[in-house]
Amino acid sequence: MAAHSMVYLKGMINLKKRSEIIKKFKAEGGQIAAIAPYHYPKALFRAFNILPVELWGPPKLNTLESKSHIQTYICSVVHSILTFHLKGNLSVCDYILIPHTCDSLQGLGSIFLDFIKPEQKAFTLYIPRGRRQVDIDFLSKEIEKIYNELQKATGTTPDKNELNHHIETEEQAVSMVKKLIKNRAYLNTDDYTFYKTIRSKEYLPAEDFIEIAEEFYKTYKIDTPLNKKPVILSGLLPEPMEILNVINEKDGLVAGDDFATTGRRLYPKSEGQNPFVRMAKSIVHSPPDSSRGDSVEARLNHLIHITEKTGAKGVIFFIVKFCEMEYFYLPHLRKGLSEKGIKSIVIDTDINDELSQQTITRIEVFMETLK
Amino acid sequence: MNVLKKLKYALMTNLIGKPYLRIERKKSEKKIAKLFNPDSPLNPPLKITAYTKEFVSSHYFKGRYIEGVKPVAWVTSGAPIEILKALGFFLIYPENHAALCGARKVQMDLIKTAEKEGLSNNVCSYVRTDIGSLLSGRTPAGKLPKPDLLLACSNICQTVLHWYRMLEKHLNIPLVIIDTPFVYNEIEPHQVEYVKKQLLHSLLPVAEKIAKKSLKEKELKKVIKFSKDATELWLEILNLCKEKPSPLTVFDQFVFMAPIVEMRGDRETVDYYNEMYKEVKSKVNTRKGALKRERRRLLWDNLPIWFKMRELAVKMAERGISIPISTYTYAWGELAPLMDLKKDEFEVIAKVYLSPILNRGTGHKLNTMVKMVKEFKLDGVILHSDRSCKPYSMGQMDQRNRLIEEFKIPAMLLEADQNDENAYSEEQIAIRIESFFEMLGVSYG
Repeated sequence: MAAHSMVYLKGMINLKKRSEIIKKFKAEGGQIAAIAPYHYPKALFRAFNILPVELWGPPKLNTLESKSHIQTYICSVVHSILTFHLKGNLSVCDYILIPHTCDSLQGLGSIFLDFIKPEQKAFTLYIPRGRRQVDIDFLSKEIEKIYNELQKATGTTPDKNELNHHIETEEQAVSMVKKLIKNRAYLNTDDYTFYKTIRSKEYLPAEDFIEIAEEFYKTYKIDTPLNKKPVILSGLLPEPMEILNVINEKDGLVAGDDFATTGRRLYPKSEGQNPFVRMAKSIVHSPPDSSRGDSVEARLNHLIHITEKTGAKGVIFFIVKFCEMEYFYLPHLRKGLSEKGIKSIVIDTDINDELSQQTITRIEVFMETLK
Repeated sequence: MNVLKKLKYALMTNLIGKPYLRIERKKSEKKIAKLFNPDSPLNPPLKITAYTKEFVSSHYFKGRYIEGVKPVAWVTSGAPIEILKALGFFLIYPENHAALCGARKVQMDLIKTAEKEGLSNNVCSYVRTDIGSLLSGRTPAGKLPKPDLLLACSNICQTVLHWYRMLEKHLNIPLVIIDTPFVYNEIEPHQVEYVKKQLLHSLLPVAEKIAKKSLKEKELKKVIKFSKDATELWLEILNLCKEKPSPLTVFDQFVFMAPIVEMRGDRETVDYYNEMYKEVKSKVNTRKGALKRERRRLLWDNLPIWFKMRELAVKMAERGISIPISTYTYAWGELAPLMDLKKDEFEVIAKVYLSPILNRGTGHKLNTMVKMVKEFKLDGVILHSDRSCKPYSMGQMDQRNRLIEEFKIPAMLLEADQNDENAYSEEQIAIRIESFFEMLGVSYG
């Protein structure tokens, strides 16, 4: 891979490794929960002094072990999570949470409970597919159910104030991500560094993340926007992350995203006194999202909104192969974007593969067509 | 306008459709009689096979003229249709329609049409078939009526939610989603409450508005009773397959299950299964099996491979392999006991539609399979690893391993697809089946 554009300031923020964070948190008396993608009540775990560490793979894994449990037509994220566990890498975790995000994660959760039976306490969480009051009521009960399980497991009973305190801290962390994304064009850094930083929220305690995000903002903030071609990414996650370098090398900038890791989890602030309802409301009112079964219209309008706000003229759908929920929307989203003069491209990926030369070329050509 | 449409409907269905389908049925009966072949490993099919064709065809035939006569809804196979039936809706099941296309082997052209429009070949082949049909207007059913309402229930997969979102976009009509949380262990009260509230507050007001009438409790109870009766009869028919030799194979059941999926809640469906029960029972009484010689009995797991049904049926029968039952066909009967007519209807519907095997955990399915192997006196299990149906297929590898290692039941995974011939490798399937036959001791060699 060629060097990044020299315009950017690179790597000035020192991000600690995930393993160091986990070690430190445990040393201070906390526990760890491994969390599969992607909506979950982070504050709930923190109120029990449990650090949620998200499992987005990890990428670039040889997933031989999982292939004796799940078929090859299941996506690489699910294969990686299972392999990671079967290799013994989750032994550092005290709990495993597998939210019901799609049919494949439903299957994984079920296999974990019925066949794999890990030593850790494993939970599932059903995320409702609507945005109605009935969905908030149901999700708040699901969250309360996990609260009761954690209460039993830890012997502690965080009260309403503690829960609300953590909800507010988590909301502050989300606000920081929003601020960074909103100001992306005014942050003089490459996309790889940018995403490494905002994705550190996947494993950092919210307090630490807020601190790092603030420092990041101060370090890279400039007064005039970067003179780059803005582009939007959509999909589950930016893996392999080298895609970001390819975009930057072609004078592009990821001005916003509709990723499950980031853009789809820019939750609104919640209100009210009941912490379970607050957490449920936040998730139910998350931005439009394939995993929530949102309408084509809602997702299209959201994408158009992001492109208009950022001035992006192109959208790259970066789809993890076999992720059915993403594939469904593509013909309609692409048609709708095209009608607005926004170009788009679909790239199939496997998080465990290197970015192929063919993919690099396709992205390069796409970036060249954007004016 | 509606009066004219009603007249046309009555004319076409009663004066033209009925006699025409009756003639076709007679022709089919003659054809079935001629099918008798002393060299065939299969006994002649049930007499009711010809009536099944007439019965299912008449439904689609009515559908051609139903617009403006009755409100029309397109629904998922696991949708709580009793409410719609009680409001007078005419129902179409896109999944069944896709299966019909597969069984008639016209699905690949439709799949290509959908893919040309940008739908990935990694999307469920039922969806690609159905969307291809919608885009091209081609269907073996003649014509599908345009719906006034879409109803998707998540108890069979998440795929249907996205599928119906696409239909919503294409057809620009209301979509109601009934979200049924996946049951990892046991059904919990808050899950029942959630589904019940959706039935009452999401589905009912929209359906009543479209039907232009209010739901009557008496009517709902009547429909639930018909559903329950038909479902019980279906279960009894399947339970007759516990006998040796089995009067039906799963390949027969895949065809005979169409009315329980798309016409449950109708009196005629109860009559149909009553007739079938009598015929199957008489086969049991005379010890006449579906196969001329039943050497081994297997369980089939997952959906059928629609476009290979006949070939597989013959291939199995040639070796004396009978497949008397499947988790899929049985799923349409095993919920009958839950339909308690004395309880609150909405609570009953909520519980029933939370309970299908596809909405239950992988361990539950393994236990079901083990129980079926015992009760149906089976010698092994074929697990169809269906590329299109991830929720049914995930867990099969562990299920197969447990069947073999823990329960000492021979089991084989067959990689294929319900409708996409591109995911079917003739040679590989032949090799796998042959190896399994060897293991079961029914090899030619």
